Amino acid sequence: MKNELEILVALQDLDLMLKELDEVRQLGFDVRSEGEEALAKAREELVGQISKPLLGNYERLRAKYKRAIVPVKGDTCLGCFMKLPTYLLTHMQRDQRVINCEGCGRILYWLK
Amino acid sequence: MEIQEITGFFKEELFVADLKGKTRDEVLDELTEKFISGNFIKNHELVLDMLHRRESVGSTGIGHGIAIPHGRTTAAPELTIAFGKSSAGVEWEALDGEPVHLVFLVIAPPYEENNHYLPTLGKLVEFLSKAENRDRLKAIDNFQDFISLFSQ
Repeated sequence: MKNELEILVALQDLDLMLKELDEVRQLGFDVRSEGEEALAKAREELVGQISKPLLGNYERLRAKYKRAIVPVKGDTCLGCFMKLPTYLLTHMQRDQRVINCEGCGRILYWLK
Repeated sequence: MEIQEITGFFKEELFVADLKGKTRDEVLDELTEKFISGNFIKNHELVLDMLHRRESVGSTGIGHGIAIPHGRTTAAPELTIAFGKSSAGVEWEALDGEPVHLVFLVIAPPYEENNHYLPTLGKLVEFLSKAENRDRLKAIDNFQDFISLFSQ
């Protein structure tokens, strides 16, 4: 069972895939129209697992920045490169919950 | 972009001379696990989900015994490529229906400063379209020779 943050990450990964399907097809890969429909359906299923406020947050950030979820490297948000406060890093590592960067507002994902 | 430039994306920990997996799903799982054990990514399930979704759009088996499963994931810190060989061959629903012997698993983050992801996929397809390169890869059993082939 994925937590809310993992579902959001899966949604962003799927959105990235949808965005580049044409370019991948042009490289010679097999990309079928029925497959694209399956992806759209998978997206709907993921969206159905996310609360409306959180989904709204994700979509607003995606419209503004293209990437709504960004990694944290060390103690830095790789969206705006702001150093994150220690208490936020502790929460992220311990709780694996959705936390927004205090600088840019993007959703933070702890890579390691 | 030149083919030599992609050598930096290969890692010795992600070189598998003899894949144990006998199916596409098993091979994807096996190679993804290498990313975990090598500490290149932390979330096995997220990456595997993404790879399965990509296969559901159309097989990444490009023919001539080659598969290049690929995708961007938020869980990846940098563009990295795993390589695995299967002497027995793996059914991959490839474009030509032939079993796959050489697998390049390309994982990229959502954004890279130099935007190498799509050019890397393109270069791999181009490199592997040559029978001579495929034959040499099939004969290679160690990482040093593997890197040398791409460095020439």
